[in-house]
Amino acid sequence: MAESSSVSNNPDGNSDLSRKRRTIEPEHPAGAGGAPTEAGGPPKWRTEVEQQIYSSKLVDALRHLRRPESAQATSSAVRDAADRVLASSARGKTRWSRAILTRRLSLRLAHINKKHKRAAKPAAADCRRNKPAGRNELPPLRRKVKALSRLVPGCRKLKLPNLLEETTDYIAAMEMQVKALTFITALLNGGGTVTAAAAAAAGSS
Amino acid sequence: MEPKVEASQPQFRSGISGPKLGEMDFGLDQIHGLISGLPEIDRSSFTALLELPPPQAVELLVNEDFPAKPVHPPPFFPSDTALIDRASKFSVFASADNSPESMTNMSASRSVKQEPLDRDSHPNSSSPAVSNHSTKSSKRKEREKKVKESNKKSKKMVENEAPEERGEKLPYVHVRARRGQATDSHSLAERARREKINARMKLLQELVPGCNKISGTAMVLDEIINHVQALQRQVEFLSMRLAAVNPRIDFNLDALLAAESGSTIDNSYLGMFVPSIWGEGQINDSRENQYQQQPWHFDELNQPSWGREEQAPNFITPDNSLLSYDNSPANSASLHSNQLKMEL
Repeated sequence: MAESSSVSNNPDGNSDLSRKRRTIEPEHPAGAGGAPTEAGGPPKWRTEVEQQIYSSKLVDALRHLRRPESAQATSSAVRDAADRVLASSARGKTRWSRAILTRRLSLRLAHINKKHKRAAKPAAADCRRNKPAGRNELPPLRRKVKALSRLVPGCRKLKLPNLLEETTDYIAAMEMQVKALTFITALLNGGGTVTAAAAAAAGSS
Repeated sequence: MEPKVEASQPQFRSGISGPKLGEMDFGLDQIHGLISGLPEIDRSSFTALLELPPPQAVELLVNEDFPAKPVHPPPFFPSDTALIDRASKFSVFASADNSPESMTNMSASRSVKQEPLDRDSHPNSSSPAVSNHSTKSSKRKEREKKVKESNKKSKKMVENEAPEERGEKLPYVHVRARRGQATDSHSLAERARREKINARMKLLQELVPGCNKISGTAMVLDEIINHVQALQRQVEFLSMRLAAVNPRIDFNLDALLAAESGSTIDNSYLGMFVPSIWGEGQINDSRENQYQQQPWHFDELNQPSWGREEQAPNFITPDNSLLSYDNSPANSASLHSNQLKMEL
């Protein structure tokens, strides 16, 4: 996971996020999940410190989502915000986090490319090129690995060991994301004050 | 050096056999440590030693001069020594620079260690071993022979570490064939690759619940894929709920964030739930206020609640009595939240 590939390849994504993000509280020095040496690994997602940091940043991002644009807070917008905050707290050490942060940029680029090249190439031909006519399931393991690589963002062309590393980090991060989202939702709904908090506590612990 | 080594030998033996039960955790931490880079090399080498049988571990310890000065030699040196030691068990030396130093180290230590080891395991090979300055190749040969026989016991964990480390530190991966296995370069490389994959699959298995009992890569991969899909669906569902709640975020979050920031900086995680309880009391309060259009209630009740974190349940009941509810707080709150949701 100590990939030495540069983090600086997504400056736009970072600035986009930093514009949206204005943290009130300083980030904890133990933000690396309690690792005594600030070594090059991604944060340990299981710690409570990380969850606190994430939930506060997410709340902040949601507020920014609401106010300036007056755009409808659709579920996809909320989900994108949640993913982006999650990816930003990975501090660029993993592939999936970088892929999430550059998603918007590549969407725009793809949109522009499509506009220019729509007359030249029909898009349908590209999808079918790699699939043979009779789709054989002979290496079922390969099929599963490909399915997994499609699920984890930014990992379509990885070999298996790196893919497994990314998956490990991704699963841990998503579990923290789910916990934080449950907590915030329970907090905001507040239906059944003591019971909701107790459920959130039980669910998050 | 020698008397110190002899004296410290028994305590190392006892110390090493102790925490053998916690092997799995150490393995995990160690793999994480390996992945995360160099500064943890001392810890990782120590925990790697736990899996080795005691005599070889003691040799490594002696080489590293571990108890006396863990960091005293230049930083790359202990790692290289430990690495070369382990690499020498399973491989030829890859880097020519370190081989002279490590060879001298190993021969020195081996000259000390040979007698007890040979007495224990190989009486037949003791005679060539006793001479301190016999050729290094013969020493290495018999050491590797011993290592190969003990390899079968300690094969898995050390092999898991060695290829990963070698992948990160040394330019080449030279793997020596173990006993009873093919010696193709292709199969060796493949075996190294498979070991890497198996190590990571083990990590994943521990992460995904219910994968421990399943054997076989395909099934485990299935479980992993299902788990990732389930988590993604959960995130979508929760974000949908959050988006539905979102109109209330503006004025709620001001109070909530202040509450949370106060608690997150100071208290532990559990402390978050106490303010959350009274924070929800505030939410009910604010919802009531919006419904009844009395915003000044919010501020008034905000002030005393800051100091009354412990009395959360008490805070809720006078609140509700203020708003003339007869039911219990939970029912009234849920009832009202449902009403508000229908309005939205």
